[in-house]
Amino acid sequence: MTPLLEVDGVSRSFGSVPALVNASLTVERNSITALIGPNGSGKTTLFNVITGNLRADTGRVRFDGHDVTTARPAALYRRGLSRTYQQARVFSQLTVEENLVVAGGFGLAQLFGRRVNRRDRQRATELIDEFRLGRVADLPAAELSYGQRKLLEFAAVLMSSPTLILLDEPTAGVNPVLIETMEHHIRRLHAAGITFLIVEHDMNVVMRLCDPVVVLDQGREIFTGPPDAVREHPAVLDAYLGA
Amino acid sequence: MRMRRGVGPVRAAVFFLVLAVAPTFGLAHWLLTMLVFTLMFAVMASAWNLLGGFTGYPSLGHVAFFGIGAYAVVLWFQHHDISSGYEPFLLLPAIGLGVALVGLPIAAIAMRTRADVFAIVTITLLFVGQTLAFNLRDITGGAQGASIVPAPFPADSYEIPFYDALVVLLAVSMGLTWATMRSKVGLSLAAVRMDEDKAAGIGVRVQTVKLLAFCVSVGLTAMIGGIWAYYEGFIYPQFAFDPLISVAMVLMTFLGGRATLWGPVLGAFILELAQQYFAYSLGGSRFYLIAYALVFLVVILVMPRGILPSVRDRLWRRGRRRIVDAQLPAGDGPL
Repeated sequence: MTPLLEVDGVSRSFGSVPALVNASLTVERNSITALIGPNGSGKTTLFNVITGNLRADTGRVRFDGHDVTTARPAALYRRGLSRTYQQARVFSQLTVEENLVVAGGFGLAQLFGRRVNRRDRQRATELIDEFRLGRVADLPAAELSYGQRKLLEFAAVLMSSPTLILLDEPTAGVNPVLIETMEHHIRRLHAAGITFLIVEHDMNVVMRLCDPVVVLDQGREIFTGPPDAVREHPAVLDAYLGA
Repeated sequence: MRMRRGVGPVRAAVFFLVLAVAPTFGLAHWLLTMLVFTLMFAVMASAWNLLGGFTGYPSLGHVAFFGIGAYAVVLWFQHHDISSGYEPFLLLPAIGLGVALVGLPIAAIAMRTRADVFAIVTITLLFVGQTLAFNLRDITGGAQGASIVPAPFPADSYEIPFYDALVVLLAVSMGLTWATMRSKVGLSLAAVRMDEDKAAGIGVRVQTVKLLAFCVSVGLTAMIGGIWAYYEGFIYPQFAFDPLISVAMVLMTFLGGRATLWGPVLGAFILELAQQYFAYSLGGSRFYLIAYALVFLVVILVMPRGILPSVRDRLWRRGRRRIVDAQLPAGDGPL
């Protein structure tokens, strides 16, 4: 079976600064792949290229067997590839429920229908219950704590029934209890057949959750392998410690 | 946060009933004239709100479409006879539709920019319109102005037909706003306003709703331009394309509260009446503009988000505190 996501020799520069240099990456179906690397190694740029938020200068991206190198984010989203952002991006003046509904995707015909109809509410309520956001369901997202916003963004991603979810630092800046909650949801969804590609700085989370681990340094991948091997690999130590 | 069911429709019914019966109390002409202008601005602010408020694209060039609507009425009746005084009003929907269509390609280009850049791009529309009106003398009469046959209404109730037409347009404009808020168009516009890139990324029909908001907004504005031209009977480029009209729409919406149903209407009633009062009491000098600006400054200092959102917020927080107090100490904080 073809891998779910293939990044093949992608380069991208900002002016004269190369952010990605011939980077390649494969995400197998139903895996939880970690993408790690020092600050500025190009992780978020690679995310942006994969999701169509940025154009690659060279190289190809294939998702589910289709070439999506030049696809727009919305098209990829409809195909089942969705993402969260490093700084949780939720619509601050929309309620939690509306944040979920707007992520559900609707065609032109539904545009003139009810803002939140019964079916929307049903689907949103399921997720609100799963993510235990019931107490804040009617509050504008601006009223939520940072951790709750991260949960909301994660929940919203599921409204489109994705096959691949890209999480950009899902546990950054949240408390230990919430880290466990996040892990729990990732495992649960993984068990339900969803594939993950996760940028994560917390190595404990990576060790517990991910296999394989891809290490990026200065815009290129320097290691791909199981989590146990990554700590001992000389190139990885070199990248992190600058030895 | 949701309003109790039924309060909204009742409020709207009372408001429009009062507006509808007000002229039957034999109001003085000066008062009716003032109300006519207030209603014009209420519709325009409400229309502007669809774009500037709900979509978050602050157009400063809306008066260009007001001017187009005004000249459309004048031009039409320079070449066609008026069979009855109401005919120009019947032409308004066609003008609205036509200008909305004209607005489509303009929106498609202008809305590639955002925020302050969009504001500047739309200012150019105003100057393009004004320059054309001054220079296409064969069509517009240039600086000499252009006239339309006076409306054949009896002198003692001259304002009434204009007043009625404006009440209908205000109902249309607020009805459209209400429908927008209740539909997924409103949900999509809110997402565009708060984070357009993210909205596009999750498959919101960003382009469609943006263009829709722009076209409806300028179409309504043009219809007011048409009524204004007919009411005045004689129009000049500098008044049909007066930047102050654009500014007024923006100020009224900001004052009453952006992206609310009643905010722009409230703003129009406060600012237009204040402006008329100051213009009257401070004479023909433009000092009234300073007083007008002061009113606006004071409100924005006290309530930066506009009157309605600030008031609603305060009430809501008070209500919520009461709920939280009642739950203590049993309740624990959400997560």
